[in-house]
Amino acid sequence: MKTLTTTARTVCPYCAVGCHLDLVVENGRVRGLDYAVNSPVNAGRLCARGHAALEILTHPERLTRPRQRAAYGWTTVSWNEALDAAAENIQRILSSHGPQALAFLTTAKGTNEENYLIQKLARTLGTHNVDHCARLCHASTLTGLGPMLGMGAATNPLSDLARSHCLFFVGSNLAENHPVAFRWVQEAKDAGAKIVVADPRRTPTAWIADLYLPVRPGTDLALLAAMLHVIFRDGLQNSPFMAQRTSGVEALRASVSRTDPSWAAPITGVPARDIVRAAHLYAKAPRAALIYCMGVTQHALGTETVRACADLALVTGHIGTQGTGLYPVRGQDNVQGACDMGALSGFLPGYRPVTDPQARRFFEEAWGIPKGTLPAASGLTVTDIEQEAGKSIRGVIAVGENPLVTSPNTGRIREALQRLDFFMVMDLFLTETAELAHLVLPAAAWAEKSGSRTNTDRRVQWSPQVVPPPGQAHPDGQMVIELAHRLGLGRYFSYDGPEAVLEEIRRVVPTYAGITAQRLRAHHEGIPWPCLDDTHPGTPVLYENRFATEDGRARLYPLEFGALPEVPDANYPYCLTTGRGKLHYNSGAMTRRTTSLMARAPHLVVELHPEDAEREGFRPEEPVWVVSRRGTVKARVHVTQAIRPGIVFLPFHFPDANRLTQDVLDPWAKIPEYKSASCRLEKVTRE
Amino acid sequence: MDESLRERVMVRLERCVGCRSCELACRVAHSQSGTLWGAVMEEPKPRRRIFVEQAAESPAPFLCRHCEDAPCVRCCPTGALRFDETSGLVAYAVDRCIGCHACVMACPFGVVQPGRGDLFVVKCDRCEGRDRPACVEACPTRALVLETAFLVDRRRRAVGRFVEAARLDISEADLMAAGSAQSP
Repeated sequence: MKTLTTTARTVCPYCAVGCHLDLVVENGRVRGLDYAVNSPVNAGRLCARGHAALEILTHPERLTRPRQRAAYGWTTVSWNEALDAAAENIQRILSSHGPQALAFLTTAKGTNEENYLIQKLARTLGTHNVDHCARLCHASTLTGLGPMLGMGAATNPLSDLARSHCLFFVGSNLAENHPVAFRWVQEAKDAGAKIVVADPRRTPTAWIADLYLPVRPGTDLALLAAMLHVIFRDGLQNSPFMAQRTSGVEALRASVSRTDPSWAAPITGVPARDIVRAAHLYAKAPRAALIYCMGVTQHALGTETVRACADLALVTGHIGTQGTGLYPVRGQDNVQGACDMGALSGFLPGYRPVTDPQARRFFEEAWGIPKGTLPAASGLTVTDIEQEAGKSIRGVIAVGENPLVTSPNTGRIREALQRLDFFMVMDLFLTETAELAHLVLPAAAWAEKSGSRTNTDRRVQWSPQVVPPPGQAHPDGQMVIELAHRLGLGRYFSYDGPEAVLEEIRRVVPTYAGITAQRLRAHHEGIPWPCLDDTHPGTPVLYENRFATEDGRARLYPLEFGALPEVPDANYPYCLTTGRGKLHYNSGAMTRRTTSLMARAPHLVVELHPEDAEREGFRPEEPVWVVSRRGTVKARVHVTQAIRPGIVFLPFHFPDANRLTQDVLDPWAKIPEYKSASCRLEKVTRE
Repeated sequence: MDESLRERVMVRLERCVGCRSCELACRVAHSQSGTLWGAVMEEPKPRRRIFVEQAAESPAPFLCRHCEDAPCVRCCPTGALRFDETSGLVAYAVDRCIGCHACVMACPFGVVQPGRGDLFVVKCDRCEGRDRPACVEACPTRALVLETAFLVDRRRRAVGRFVEAARLDISEADLMAAGSAQSP
C-alpha cells in the first residue's frame, strides 16, 4: 500500500499560548509532530508538554465506550443507551426538583462552540448553573478588570512583551508555565528592558530579573499599594492620561496615602528600598507591561489585588498602546473562549450579565426559547455547585473537569459529589472525578474534533479534526446536541457541525461578529477579538482610544485591605503555597498519563528551604507528611534555595495536594484561596 | 571558547567494549576540581554527558551529535540552545535558559539531560577549553575518535586493504569476504 503522508496544523491542547502543532498523518494515523516554524505564535518552538501531546491520542487508557455504574464496578453500554439514561435522569431531576437542581461544569479544554452549546443547553433548560474552571483561575480578573476597563481580558498580545522597556511580573511564572511565550521576554531583555519579578519563589521567571521581590504569599496587595503610594509621593503618575481617560483618582490616592514602603516591608517581607525601586522602574519606563497570573488571582483578596494591578497600569498610563498593557495570562488553551461564550454562572455569551433584563430578552429571542425561561438571578459557581452538591443540586454534568484534583479542600468535595442523584462525566480518561460518576461518556481529544479556540491574546484560532476519535468517543459538542434532542430541545439545537455553531455565536456575541470558520481556516494565525465585521482585521491592542466602559473612561478603584484567612501559628508553622511545574499540567489527567513526562517528574514534591529542612531533620528526597487543618498528603522533600524560609510549595498536579488548601472564597469572584494556607511537616515513620 | 570549527566525535560501535571509561572521564572533566578523587567527593556530583547503553547485542556510547537543524535548537523558546556556525557545535547559554526542558523532550537521542542544582540542562559541550574531548582521550579501544582521526584511519585502512589485495592478487571484495579485513 502506498503511504500517504500529510501534515495538518492544529492548536496545542495545553496552555493558553495557543502554539501550533503540525501533526504528521500517515494513512489516517498520527505518526509524529513537526515544528510549525512559520507560525506567528510559536515559530516552531514547543515546550515539554507540547512535545508529549501526541501520547494522548493513542493512549491505551483512553475511554472508548460509554460506561454506567453497576452494583459492582462498571458496565459498558451502547451510545444510545448511555444518552437515553442521561436524558432520563436529567428529566427525572427536572420534574421532581426543577431546573435549579441541575448544574453543568463545562471546560476550558473544549472549543468555543462546545462551551457555547453547553451553556445554551443549561440555559434553555432554565438554569444559569453553568460554570467552568475559570472560576478557579481568573474569575477575579473578570470581576476586577471588568468594571474598571470594560473587559476582563489581556489588553495586548504576548508578542508585545518584546516591545516593552519594563516588564513587571506579579505572581506569574511565565517561564515554566508558558515557556514558549517567554521568548518575547528574553527579546525585551536583550533590547535592554528591565525585568521585575514579585514571587515567593525564585522561579525560572525570576532568574533573569533585574529586581526580584520575594513577596510573602497573599501579601501582593500590600506590595502593589506601597508601589502606588511611591508613585503618588514621588510624582511619577501620568497626570494627563489620568485626567483624560480615567475617573476616581482622588479616592485611590486617599486609599494609598498611608501604605508607604516602610509599612509594607514587614508585611510583604520585601525591603522598602526594593519596593521604591520597583515603583520607579515600572512608572518611569516609556513603555511598561504588567503580567499577572494565579499568584494574584487565587486569593480571598483576589479581586482587590487585580484592581491594584489595573490601578498601577492606569495611574502610570501604561495601557492602550503597543508594548504596554495588562496581561492576565490564562492557563488553559481555551479559558478565554469559554468565558467569552458565557460558560459562567453570572454572564450570558459576550459577558452580558444575566441580571440585565434586556440581555435576557435578547438571548430568549435569539434562541427562540419561551419568554421568561432565563432566570433573573445568577446561577451557582463551580465552588457553589460543589458546596451544594447533594443538597439543592441533585444532578451534575461535568465536561472535562477534574474537581477532585483541582478544587480546594478536595476531601469535602468527594463527599459532596457522592451524595448526588445523578453525576455524569464526559472525559478522555477515567479521571479521579469520573470514578465517582454514574455515567461516563468518552470524549474526543483536540485533534479528533474541529472547532475554534481563543488563546490568552484573544486570538481566535481554528483547530481542525485530523483523525477520528477512538472507538465510540465523540466530540463533547456532538454529545450535548444529541442530549438536547433527547430532552425535547431539538428545535433549538439543529446544527450540522461546529461551523454552524460559530455562525450563531457571531450573531449573538458582538466581539466575534466578524469571525467565521472560513476566515479562520484561511488565516491560520487567527483573528484577535473584538472583530466587528467580515472584513475587520481584529484588535490586537485593546483600549487604544477609549475604554469599554459606558463613558469610555477607566474607573480607578480605591484599595481595601482584608486579613489573610489563615496565618501560620504554633501548630501549623509553615505557609503553604501551591502552583504549577514545568512538566505537568493542571489536574494531570493528561500529563500524569504521559510516560515521557512521568519519567521526568514521577511524584509529588514539596519544596522547602535548606534552613527548614535542617530544622525538621529532613534529607533531600525523603518522603514526609504535609499536614493542614483540612488534610494530609505525602510528598518528597525537595530542598531548594529558591523558596523563602517558612514557606513550602506544593504543585497541585497530583491528587490530594488540594486536600490541604482552603475553600475560603473571594466575595466577588468566588475564587478560592489556593495560594496561602498554614501547614506543618511531619516525618514519615515506618509502620 | 575556541572560535574555530570543532571536530565532531565519531563513534565506532564495533569497537566499544562497554568499559564506561568515557563516562568517568566526562564526569571528571565536568567536575569543579578536575581530578578523579576530587570529582568523587564533590557535591553536587558532577554529571556525565555521554551514556553507554546496551543497544541490541553491543554496548553503544551516546553523546550529543551537535546536529545541524537540531530539534533541541528548533524548539528552544529563548535561544539558550543555538547552532554556533563558527564552532559547528550546538552551544548552550545557561543565562538564557529557563529550564523548560523542551530540549530534553525533543532530542531524538536522549542526550540532553535535565540538570540538578545550577545547570538546568546538561549536554555535551565537546569539552570547552580542551583540544581533544575527555571521552576521546579516555577511550581505550579508540571506539571514540575525532572526525579527522577517523577519516585518516579509514584512509589508511583502505590503502592497507588495497595493498594486501594486490599482494595476494585477489579482489578487495574477496579479501573482505575472507574475513581478514579490519574494521572500516
